Amino acid sequence: MAMTWRVGVDIGGTFTDIVMLGSDGTVHTKKISSSVDDYARAIVEGLTQLFAETGIGAGDIEEIRHGTTVASNAILEHKGARTGLITTAGFRDVLEIRTLRMPRLYDMAWEKPPPLVERRLRRVVDERIDARGQIERALDPAQAEAVVRALIEEGVEAIAVCLLHSYANPAHEQAIAGIVRRLAPDLPLSVSSEVQPEIKEYERTSTTVINAYVMPIVARYLRALRTGLDGAGVTARLLLMQSNGGLMASEAAAAKPMHIIESGPAGGVIGAQALARAKDLADVITFDMGGTTAKAATVEAGHVARAAEYSVGAGIMVGSRLLTGAGYLLKVPAIDLAEVGAGGGSLVRVNAAGGVQVGPESAGAVPGPVCYDQGGSEPTITDANVILGYINPHHLVGGAVTLNAARAAEVFEQKVAQPLGLELARAAHGAHLIAASNMIRAIRAVSTERGRDPRRFALFAFGGNGPLFACGMAESLGMRRVVVPPSPGLFSSFGLLYADTEHHYARSFRRLTRTVDLAELNEAWNALAEQALGQLAAEGFSGSSAKVTRAAALHYHGQSFDLTVPVPDGPLDAAALRAVDEAFGVEHERTYGHRAGTDEPVELVSIQVVGRGLKANGALPEHTSPARSEATIPPRRAYFGPTAGWIETPVLRRADLATQRVGPVIIEEYDATCLVLPGWHARLDDGGNIVIER
Amino acid sequence: MTASHDPIAFELFRNAIFSIADEMALTVFRTTYSGVLKDNMDYSTAFADANGRLVAQGLTLPGHLGSIPTALDSIMRHFGDAMNEGDIYVLNDPFDGGMHLPDIFVFKPLYHEGRRLAFAATVCHHTDVGGRVAGSNASDSTEIYAEGLRIPPLKLYDRGVRNETLMSIIERNVRLPVRLFGDLRAQLAACHIAEAQFRELVSRYGAATVSTYMEEVIDYAERLTRAALADLPDGEWSFEDWIDDDGVDVGKPIRLFVTLRKRGGHMVVDWTGTNPQVKGAINNTLSFTKAASYTAVRSVLPAGIPNNEGVFRAIEVICPPGTVGNGVLPAACAARGLTGFRMTDCMFGALAMMLPDRVFAAGDGGNTGISIGGWDAARQPFIYVDFTCGAWGARPWADGLDGNSHMFANMASHSVEVTEAEQPIQLLAYEFVPDKAGAGKFRGGVPFRRDYRFLEEEGTLQVRSDRRVHRPFGLYGGSPGAPSANVLNPDTDNRPLPSKVTMTIRRGEVFRHVLAGGGGWGDPLERDTALVLRDVRNELLSIAKAAADYGVVIADGRIDEAATARLRAERRKQRGWQEPPKVLRDDPLPQAAE
Repeated sequence: MAMTWRVGVDIGGTFTDIVMLGSDGTVHTKKISSSVDDYARAIVEGLTQLFAETGIGAGDIEEIRHGTTVASNAILEHKGARTGLITTAGFRDVLEIRTLRMPRLYDMAWEKPPPLVERRLRRVVDERIDARGQIERALDPAQAEAVVRALIEEGVEAIAVCLLHSYANPAHEQAIAGIVRRLAPDLPLSVSSEVQPEIKEYERTSTTVINAYVMPIVARYLRALRTGLDGAGVTARLLLMQSNGGLMASEAAAAKPMHIIESGPAGGVIGAQALARAKDLADVITFDMGGTTAKAATVEAGHVARAAEYSVGAGIMVGSRLLTGAGYLLKVPAIDLAEVGAGGGSLVRVNAAGGVQVGPESAGAVPGPVCYDQGGSEPTITDANVILGYINPHHLVGGAVTLNAARAAEVFEQKVAQPLGLELARAAHGAHLIAASNMIRAIRAVSTERGRDPRRFALFAFGGNGPLFACGMAESLGMRRVVVPPSPGLFSSFGLLYADTEHHYARSFRRLTRTVDLAELNEAWNALAEQALGQLAAEGFSGSSAKVTRAAALHYHGQSFDLTVPVPDGPLDAAALRAVDEAFGVEHERTYGHRAGTDEPVELVSIQVVGRGLKANGALPEHTSPARSEATIPPRRAYFGPTAGWIETPVLRRADLATQRVGPVIIEEYDATCLVLPGWHARLDDGGNIVIER
Repeated sequence: MTASHDPIAFELFRNAIFSIADEMALTVFRTTYSGVLKDNMDYSTAFADANGRLVAQGLTLPGHLGSIPTALDSIMRHFGDAMNEGDIYVLNDPFDGGMHLPDIFVFKPLYHEGRRLAFAATVCHHTDVGGRVAGSNASDSTEIYAEGLRIPPLKLYDRGVRNETLMSIIERNVRLPVRLFGDLRAQLAACHIAEAQFRELVSRYGAATVSTYMEEVIDYAERLTRAALADLPDGEWSFEDWIDDDGVDVGKPIRLFVTLRKRGGHMVVDWTGTNPQVKGAINNTLSFTKAASYTAVRSVLPAGIPNNEGVFRAIEVICPPGTVGNGVLPAACAARGLTGFRMTDCMFGALAMMLPDRVFAAGDGGNTGISIGGWDAARQPFIYVDFTCGAWGARPWADGLDGNSHMFANMASHSVEVTEAEQPIQLLAYEFVPDKAGAGKFRGGVPFRRDYRFLEEEGTLQVRSDRRVHRPFGLYGGSPGAPSANVLNPDTDNRPLPSKVTMTIRRGEVFRHVLAGGGGWGDPLERDTALVLRDVRNELLSIAKAAADYGVVIADGRIDEAATARLRAERRKQRGWQEPPKVLRDDPLPQAAE
């Protein structure tokens, strides 16, 4: 049988990473500069280059899987569509008032993110539906039409519609949608009861608006990419990575682009999930550290933990997950990532009280760390790692970037070591540890803060800097095993290759579990399941390759935060519902350490369905082998803290770990450096992963 | 080696201990039953050392800064040596460590090998603790005895055994015991999480080092605070402002007066000259006055200073007993939030005199609290409590924020849809009101209105608001914001209501509250005309008001430059300022009739 290739493409702000995986496990990778004016161009160019280098034909590509920041960039740079919003009279400013809360305390300079739809383009219709879905004041079609016409005259490029309580009764929204489709059939339209039929008007409005705001941009981009691929002879279908870690067809992504906004970090987590499953690692915490931020997520019993909402662009502005209000709220399921502003470029500073601060400010790509010798004058974590001997003092990325270690030492000495009264190595080691402790907060956020003990997880480390810190962090957290996959620096695009097609649906369904009408509940769930199956069928999945699972969000009546538990297949009867109640109680106890008595009523908040398309030939090769050979490097001195001091440390290639080695050991690769501390030992497993244990 | 000589290990410890306080806060946030905690974030969590000194406070409510040490003091005074492992302490008495009755403190002493090393502390605003008005926050009670159940410092658990006597007294005295106990469980869960994490710290560092480091974390904050204070000018500055009235002695203004004395790394905040305590329930405890003072000072200091005792050492707060800022028995204090917010604003006024280009004008006041409670047809109680605020004062470099919480609290609004699904209330409007923001080179924040329609047979509406007579001040030429308003049935009787009211409300009646507008900063005639036009296009400012306040003439959606230049010159002459007044509490020119 002829070799076929699966391609993963991940676009970042600086680099576009391409990974090609052959059906026999052969891997080819390519890292090229992103073409910021037209992201599609770099993808097509990169592929064409890979074809030329490897002799693989465009026709051998079976599928292209893609993670992109096109949509999130449009939001962050306010370059989305000129969008109009139609909402209920009296509630014109829901989008702008947000929740009132701000993400920073004591900050008089705080600026709210500007609304994606300015006030003059937010128009109201006089109508009212109550909380039970009863129409209290009927929509006047003539007035609605006048509002739609006014927005069209304003030259809007997309329209969002979000009326109060439309999750309970979509009739008025549907009527307005009908008017828009009649008057402007080609105008991108986002209707809240179709997009996110759940209670809470701010969350739903924001989500519906974001969807409208990026719709034309994403559609244009996907068209350009398709045209470019076709031009290069690549006819394979294009799948987009979603924020929730599932794939969706490019047509579906163009219709609901809100799902692909945070697709960047998802690939790595999904890749970790797949490798963990293959290696029988039930529970892993993923740790992805790059140049400016570090992100953590959990995979527990093979399942990725997901959050019901997140804020686009809130990122590292938030010191704690407690403080919300930054960025743009999007209520779609996403991988539950905790992010902190710590990366190789994080600045190391000594403050007025003699305290050491690492990040969240970053030297960025320009000027970058001092050792890059591109004008950087503020010491960074990468400089500390060079001083400590962890990073090759001469060059990075296989020689592509030369380093000035002497200058890094000089600046670090002057700005950090001297003010602290510490010798240079001790100060650099301290900065390294503090960066690690900042990142540990991200790991705690996804583990201890959710009642999970990190010690029973393995730490799965990737990103350019993840493998450098993982061993030390695992040690602090009491974790016993670290796994570093092949090509850790490219792992986010690698992970795309492991994802399945997935569609998530949810709707509000607020009833007490003890009094809910079972027929109504089953019917509502079936309707969602049919929606999922319909979408899967449209993407070529049916019968046994289309799988639907259910879950419910619940809380004790009166609580305002909910927990999601899985719900078994099949019609629900009273006994099954009691089991759901019990599962909720168990999860509550697990997460918060307590649960209420069984007499306390449990309330269903929303019902959820996930449809998965399982590929018939979905099994991936067990072993992947990079098609790159590498030379040997001499050992070097590295510093391991005041007790262990400087140690002459072997510098190895990944392949050298075929036999187990005892730390300290440094493993240098094209795209990342991995550090094995004294007291730990490292070996390769049969999948080519570095496994570090103690 | 002492802590101060190992900056690395110390930094790692500091990171760990603040992460415990934040994790406690998250626990409360997620497990709470009530909107007051979840949405208004009206709670705090902290970690204190064995002597009750605050080491780390979680990132929740600035208004609680400094309250926990006061409460711990009381616990120490009552139980000092009689504490045991497994004990948990509780209190809410404002005259013995508390703030106002809805705020219930829960403390757990943490032990290692039989020795007390630290305290886990939480304080949460509970929805109802009994008393004459549902929600226990009436502003028109005149003595503490009407305000609800008063809990002196007591043991909630004695060596792990729950105090059932106390629990049953609480149960019989509050309107929604299930909710109160649910929130109490959240507080206990936070303490347990702190205990588990603290054990981990002790096992890593050893008990002696942990104690030393806790002390060092406090010293560290003190050094940072003093260094930051030293960067500010030395001298003395005063500011005064008025609360309209206490709702009992209607029309009698209440003076707030503060003097800042700053020298080197030390600041004295002196409230001498502030009004004697009042009959209405807006008397602060000293701890709350301190919180207001700390919050304002912190807002002009650089970010990154930890919240703990070290900050308090550098900022000394004085407020004579028997004043509205330091009430004594039998002062009613349930609605003292109003005074806390306004003392914060008064502090900002004083700081604006000290640092003219760094501090904003007055916002809406932060002082609105609306509650609607009663009994439904099935004799089940309902209580809806809504604290709201949103218009910031203008800043010397930018407009005031529209729809953003006051600096003293970090509250979030309740979802309208959830409110309607759970309460016998319908919201008819929640939107900005044009022409209310104070004019200025930078304008104040635009206020919003909230219209509530009542859907049960009968209930009690209780409103605490202010800034009706004494408007949010403008600074350095900026105009004050428009006054707040309360109206009953705006579309029919359109009956104005006082700023503070407790009254019966019936099915179908509509209550409207309009926040006061934020004060402006700088001369309105110097405002960028494009920004004036932007506000007009967005229907936040009328064309008439653009001309009256800013001297900007707009016709056919465009600025008439020539007419604008003429009008601005004319307005300047009319006004006749030598230089812009530092503080404006009324319009600089008579307003055209609307």
